[in-house]
Amino acid sequence: MDKLPEIVELLDESGIGLADGEGLLDERERRILIGAVNFHALARPGRTFRITVLRGPRGTMPSLTDDRTRHIEWGDDREVVGSLVVRSTVQTTSGTNPPEGLVDLAVDLGGEPEVASAYHQLPGLMGKVRRSVRFFAPVQFDVLRQYRTDVTEKRYRKREVPKKAPVRITRGTTATGHGATPAIIFGIHWLELGGAERFALETVQLAKEAGFTPIVITDRPSTHPWITRPELDGAIVVPLTHPVSPEQESAFLNGVLSAYDVRGVHLHHSTWLAQRLPWLKSIRPDLPVIDSLHILEWRTGGFVDISVRMTNVIDHHHVISPMLRDYLVGKQGVDPAKVELATLANLTTKGIGQAAAKAKSDDGPFTVAFVGRFTQQKRPYLFLQLAASLKGSASREIRFIVHGDGELAGEVHGLVSRLGLSDVLELRGSDKPVAKTLADADVLVISSDNEGLTLTSFEATAAGVPVVSTDVGSQASLVAEDLLVPRHPYPFISTAAERIRTMINSPEQRKTWLDEQAGKAAAFAKLPDARTWVRDTYEGWLK
Amino acid sequence: MSTVAAVVVTYNRKDKLPKVLDHVLAQSRKPEWLVIVDNASTDGTDEVLKRYEGLDGVVIVRLTENTGGAGGFATGMNKGYELGADFVWIMDDDCYANSDALEELVNGLAKAEAEMGMQLPFACSLVRWVDGSICEMNNPVTTWDWGRLIAKGQENVLVQHCSFVSVLFPRWALTKHGLPLREYFIWFDDQEYTLRVNKSGPGVQVLRSVVVHDLGVNRGVNFSDVNASNLWKFEYGARNEASYRLHHENPVAFAKFVVRVHQGLKGGRVPWGLRLKLFRKIVEGVKFNPKPEMPRSVL
Repeated sequence: MDKLPEIVELLDESGIGLADGEGLLDERERRILIGAVNFHALARPGRTFRITVLRGPRGTMPSLTDDRTRHIEWGDDREVVGSLVVRSTVQTTSGTNPPEGLVDLAVDLGGEPEVASAYHQLPGLMGKVRRSVRFFAPVQFDVLRQYRTDVTEKRYRKREVPKKAPVRITRGTTATGHGATPAIIFGIHWLELGGAERFALETVQLAKEAGFTPIVITDRPSTHPWITRPELDGAIVVPLTHPVSPEQESAFLNGVLSAYDVRGVHLHHSTWLAQRLPWLKSIRPDLPVIDSLHILEWRTGGFVDISVRMTNVIDHHHVISPMLRDYLVGKQGVDPAKVELATLANLTTKGIGQAAAKAKSDDGPFTVAFVGRFTQQKRPYLFLQLAASLKGSASREIRFIVHGDGELAGEVHGLVSRLGLSDVLELRGSDKPVAKTLADADVLVISSDNEGLTLTSFEATAAGVPVVSTDVGSQASLVAEDLLVPRHPYPFISTAAERIRTMINSPEQRKTWLDEQAGKAAAFAKLPDARTWVRDTYEGWLK
Repeated sequence: MSTVAAVVVTYNRKDKLPKVLDHVLAQSRKPEWLVIVDNASTDGTDEVLKRYEGLDGVVIVRLTENTGGAGGFATGMNKGYELGADFVWIMDDDCYANSDALEELVNGLAKAEAEMGMQLPFACSLVRWVDGSICEMNNPVTTWDWGRLIAKGQENVLVQHCSFVSVLFPRWALTKHGLPLREYFIWFDDQEYTLRVNKSGPGVQVLRSVVVHDLGVNRGVNFSDVNASNLWKFEYGARNEASYRLHHENPVAFAKFVVRVHQGLKGGRVPWGLRLKLFRKIVEGVKFNPKPEMPRSVL
């Protein structure tokens, strides 16, 4: 159970259970509430707040820092689950006393996290048409999506991303002093399952180990199921909900800069913080900023292009794949000296061994596995089409494992029976470890239409399983040349099926491909390691 | 420090190849990798390659069919890129590089970039024939302001395009502009590619970097020289250049090219049958418009 941080003093509480854990809130809710308290305490130093704590129905998003928190009226479905009086102990402008009087806020914690069904994510008539087409003709639907990607990609990639002009001053004017506790500001998308988030939390832990207090700011609507992770113990978490009023934004950041001795900023896919970097650099030009990038997104460029736009106020772009390095330096002309390649090789491979793979007999069925979230990006429906194609054409008994869950779960279940795969396909949820699926698999298929460098590819390599993957993102850094298959649905299915049939018929060829994959993984593992680079960087910020 | 992958493309030239490779391996600034692309040679080249296989940094790519110089360079440059090299340094299998050729290229490019205040997309060497005179076939075409660096005391000339005989390309140029067009097979692939990367700025010929091109005769390319035995090469040249002039320049440049070919053939009194075959290839060039392949980032 987490306590209130030192920037606030608890005056009274009801229903929350901060003192003894006995309350109406669970640990996730309590941490989200503390996150809201952190924001308000930093944005309005010295003030006393009475916070009415609301809870919404399952799946609703929290409202913690936005303008709605000032309203003392709420929706019919919001129940009051707590009340809290705290005082901000943050000191800012010296010599002036904060105004007296109680600030009343109504903080809505939202509901229980829910895996939203994609069925409900496309509202309106067009949404109805789209989801119907996707459900009944997923492959054809995907063909159209890939063509759209081709067109927009071609158009988009032609232009260079405009860059924000640099901050020319080398010293910011001083309005206030700052606290003594060394801190690092982290900008994180949200606290949910994800590769970038996993690494982000690792860096939060590294910051703590180096002696910093991490200030973790998230900027996307979420129920933040990962807010209870141990890496965040002792961190000042601020889950922003928008719109935050402009004066509150600067007041909040000023609060952070005055309450702590901020030594650096580390972004992990955070649009909000990225857009405030020019201001931060104008206040504190000395503040080093690093931005960790994971994936180049089709169509919009995503966080990578935001990073390019802000390159003049970012000191180091940390990239986890050679492809991102080449994109920044070669395509966007970012100064190579500012681009640091440091990889996440083997981030999640601990405990995965090849024992099971070696022990596998050649007599049983050949097992083809899919591991990943059921999302549009991962395209589980293409895997199912591939399975259907293989089922009818393999020379040996064949079975399939689909391991995952997510918003397309409905479509996946429907398609399994429609394609007649029920007898040869096993669906596994997150209750089973991925290591077990990899131990059972003869080949892993990655059907995504976009990726950075999938952690499951590393896991598969560690487990001695060859990977057939779409040739997207940095998958070429790990996957054998012949096993990189086209992104477009029909060529994907035919090429992947052909390669897998070759593996079934020729264990020697499968081994050749696996050896090539292992060789690539070994070469990749020799590239600089992200954790080491981050640790060294943070330690440099202490000096 | 920057890394360099030297790329040598070879086809049925086992007698000259060892000398080429030895010159690369004896460079004062040794490349980190030597990528040798064997275009499915049938003269026993593989025996030569086996002697080099296993040497530190030597990477041999054996193709199953002859893909021409264009295909070989695209393959080799892609391999160098995949290995993570910051530069690729490419040459033919009859090019002997002076021992400081690479060092001078790398330094010359850096000096030129510093003076120009911008990144330059390629640096090429001065190419001599075996008797020490200039190699007629491998002369780059200069820019209008070719003497800009000479005026600043450098022995570097600004150029628009050059042939693939000792050229250094920085990695970013491959990322931004892709690989040479495999489909060209042979001839004009070098000019098309260097003109393509030239969109990012001029190239530079580093006069202190010298290589020897061991050609049988020292003669440039001219359509007046077409005969039955060399026709096949000119056919590729006609198709490729026609395609380039039309699709990457304009119809006027295309028309000028047609006139140039016609005048060359007429001047050389080339038989009508051969002329007709070449003009067919020019017509083929109207439809022929391959797109560049982008290299993959692996390391």
